[in-house]
Amino acid sequence: MTHILVTAKLVPDLVEELEIAESGTALDMTWLRLIINEFDDHAIEQAIILKERSGCEVTVIAPDQEGMDDVLFTAAAKGADRIIKLVGDFEEGVNNHALARTLAASTKEIGPDLILTGVQGNDDFDGSVGPYLAEYLGMTYVGYVAGVTLEGDKAIVHKEYPGGLIAELEVTLPAVLGIQAAEQPPRYVAVSKVRQMMKEASIDEVDVLDLDPSGGLEISSMYLPEAAERAEMLDGDEEEIAARLVEIFKEIGVV
Amino acid sequence: MPERVNYWGIPHEWGPPELYVYTIMFLAGFIMLFRFYKQASLWWKVGRPEPRWDKLHIRFWKFIQYAIVQTKVLNERYPGVMHVTIAWAYFIFFLGTALATIHDHFFEFLFGNALFAYKFVLDIFTVVFLVGAGMAIYRRYAQKPKRLTLDPGFTRSLVMVTVIVIGGLLTESFRLAVDQPAWAWSSPAGWIVAQLWIAIGASDTSLINWHLGIWTFHLLTVAGTIITLPVGTLLHGLTGPLNMFFAKLDRPTGELAPIPLTAAGDQVFASKLSDLTWKQLLDGDACTECGRCQDACPAYAAGTPLNPKELILSIRDALRADAAAVIGGNGDTPDSPTLVGDKIKEEVLWSCTTCGACVDVCPVLIEHVDTIVDMRRYLVMEGAIDAELQGALANLGRYGNSFGKSDRMRARWAKGVDPKIKDAGREPVDYLWFVGDYASYSPTLTEITQQTADVFQKADLDFGILYKGENHAGNDVRRVGEEGLFEMLVEKNLKALSRSDFKTIVTTDPHSYNALKHEYASNGNGEWHVLHYSQLLDQLIASGQIKFSKKLGYKVTYHDPCYLGRYNGIYDAPRRVIEATGCEIVEMPRNRDKGLCCGAGGGRIWMEEGEVTERPSESRIHEAVALNGVDIFVVACPKDITMYADAVKTTGQEENIVVKDLIELVHEAM
Ligand code: SF4
Ligand code: SF4
Repeated sequence: MTHILVTAKLVPDLVEELEIAESGTALDMTWLRLIINEFDDHAIEQAIILKERSGCEVTVIAPDQEGMDDVLFTAAAKGADRIIKLVGDFEEGVNNHALARTLAASTKEIGPDLILTGVQGNDDFDGSVGPYLAEYLGMTYVGYVAGVTLEGDKAIVHKEYPGGLIAELEVTLPAVLGIQAAEQPPRYVAVSKVRQMMKEASIDEVDVLDLDPSGGLEISSMYLPEAAERAEMLDGDEEEIAARLVEIFKEIGVV
Repeated sequence: MPERVNYWGIPHEWGPPELYVYTIMFLAGFIMLFRFYKQASLWWKVGRPEPRWDKLHIRFWKFIQYAIVQTKVLNERYPGVMHVTIAWAYFIFFLGTALATIHDHFFEFLFGNALFAYKFVLDIFTVVFLVGAGMAIYRRYAQKPKRLTLDPGFTRSLVMVTVIVIGGLLTESFRLAVDQPAWAWSSPAGWIVAQLWIAIGASDTSLINWHLGIWTFHLLTVAGTIITLPVGTLLHGLTGPLNMFFAKLDRPTGELAPIPLTAAGDQVFASKLSDLTWKQLLDGDACTECGRCQDACPAYAAGTPLNPKELILSIRDALRADAAAVIGGNGDTPDSPTLVGDKIKEEVLWSCTTCGACVDVCPVLIEHVDTIVDMRRYLVMEGAIDAELQGALANLGRYGNSFGKSDRMRARWAKGVDPKIKDAGREPVDYLWFVGDYASYSPTLTEITQQTADVFQKADLDFGILYKGENHAGNDVRRVGEEGLFEMLVEKNLKALSRSDFKTIVTTDPHSYNALKHEYASNGNGEWHVLHYSQLLDQLIASGQIKFSKKLGYKVTYHDPCYLGRYNGIYDAPRRVIEATGCEIVEMPRNRDKGLCCGAGGGRIWMEEGEVTERPSESRIHEAVALNGVDIFVVACPKDITMYADAVKTTGQEENIVVKDLIELVHEAM
């Protein structure tokens, strides 16, 4: 039976106004409300669809963040067989390098055939989790996937390109897929089902002792976008605009 | 002295007539009861148990009121009169036969004046019956209203009951024509028919022969009708009264029951016949197919797939078709026949606005909404809901409001209100104003909500709001069938409410009103005193706390919100408030308990609309503009502002009518 691992994380809920922490290099966590990364939600849905279609085993793994238990129990209510929480110093937020490293370590122990993850998240300052995870595990990565079919030790995936182009690729497992959209929108789980799961299911906890964020970005300053009239509109055809852009880059010294 | 002649003209050569009359009748009765038992036993063999044996005195009273006097049947004039004339005539005939039996065997009293009266009453009711039967024939074959089931089964029943009565009348007339007693006038109808036989000069022998023939025929048609009663359309004569007797008494219409549990403590979600209670199955068998609910249903009128009558009949048909399989398979095999999604389609269930009109008009007290919600609960558990509803429920679960906005924004409308509105969670207040989602978050309602605050402040009301402590009250979440989410919202609200010190809750939203009044009491320990703002305004006007400086002089019409009117019987308070502002109310034809639903209730406001011919709200606006000289459509529900402002636009009636909240009139007149 194919074993699918889904990785999920929580990201800032943009319903709330974001505030910058005093340090000036991060979001103020006290006012932050976290929500499951929408793409990870699709990854979970895709895994459940595969389970229903081909009888896979589904494990969902996620870092310990405020509200994560609800997300994991919801995944269990949808049909995930096992839910795992990485327990460590995640509350203040970690970069995706660190996250991918811890995920990779646990993944090796779990030994899944297929790993699904959201293709991106709104806090991906240092690139998305999927490719790093694939790199650390030495697996193939395909991103922007909207549709997966399993055939033996292969997965047929639909990858979306800008402009509405879709490619069908055959991927040999194990592999990591960055899910753009599940084949159907994430399903609704009745609250009582989730509550039921809280009683019945249990979350496996894996201790994470150290987080290694190396290779990520150093954030020197973070600020809210300011409304200002600094934009300069460039007119002309492509050639002219490109030439002017190069000029500007030289002027401000970025090239 | 006149005496009752028993078995007049019936030859005794075949033995005493009572012997074979009673034999035939007892046999017929026995077969009837046996067949009825066979049908009725399916209710408890297939259905789940549900206690409905409490408060017997109220149940008997309901039986008298609805089954004997038939007050609900009489709510509609033509069909009402038609039905009660037939039914009452049969009650009298039944009583008459019983009295005759008592006279014959137990206690003789039918002689002299008593006999005259006895005969006279029976005869008059023969005429009464014929009037009703005539009306029924006219209705069924000339008027043919769309809502009626024009099935041959009904024709057969009508023919049977008419033939019985005519048979009785003829038998009597032959006897009178032969005997021509001095007291024949006490049977006026029979005597008039007898004149015919006398006039044509029929001989006594032939009249006696005819009498014997028709009498036998009469006896056999009665027996035949009794035997076929449980399998024909007259079954409602047994199931209807039973349904009234067992109607729910444990809670008001505005309170839904929690999800039922099996003996083992598992929740039951209604997807199959065996998930319904015996009473819900009885509902199906009690339906008279009168179609009143169909006529009253806004969803049906809008052209959605829902027809409450068909819905109830689907339960009946499913029981007849599948009961054997369910009982054989113990009801719980995976392939036991399904009901929801198969015989009752999902779209049908989702079309209901839970307006309660069907329940209100049903002459046999069928409980449509409870069953619909039970089935919706199953669909929610299956996740079989549309994307819009899913979004709304997810928002409600996450943020406590359907708008998907932060709870911190809930009281944003109050920012400009001066002096600042008290936080009822922090300081004691007399009135806790439960603002509700729409009044809090909908940008089109901000001004109205602020005006409400202004009126309260001008009336010197000591009030406060819960700010971000308030969550959606859950009325429609529950009616969507998301019971778990409803419970969660109730918990959150109860937590905020229990932290606050107040005497009365007031809300502008009838849906919140209904939930807080009926559905929080059973969830929390406290019984709240809850007022709709129309009631509070009415009180404040009466006590002089609100004084008006001018008479508005508008000609307006008023729309009764379902959860205020039909569900909670509040019809007069808003009308008194409108009149106090110096406006004249012109009623729409569908007013008060007949008020048409706006189409938003029961969570419909969160769902995809689907195919409709004319939205209920549009039909309502057309109804209002047809009134002479009315140019203001007054509502007393925040959702109604949204619904009707839209409908005025889509019907292109902007020139002719404007939608105003009750508070706008009060504010303007102050
Ligand atoms: S509650 Fe209203 S919408 Fe629902 S079936 Fe009854 S009449 Fe129709
Ligand atoms: S459900 Fe009630 S109102 Fe509707 S058709 Fe049946 S008896 Fe009449």
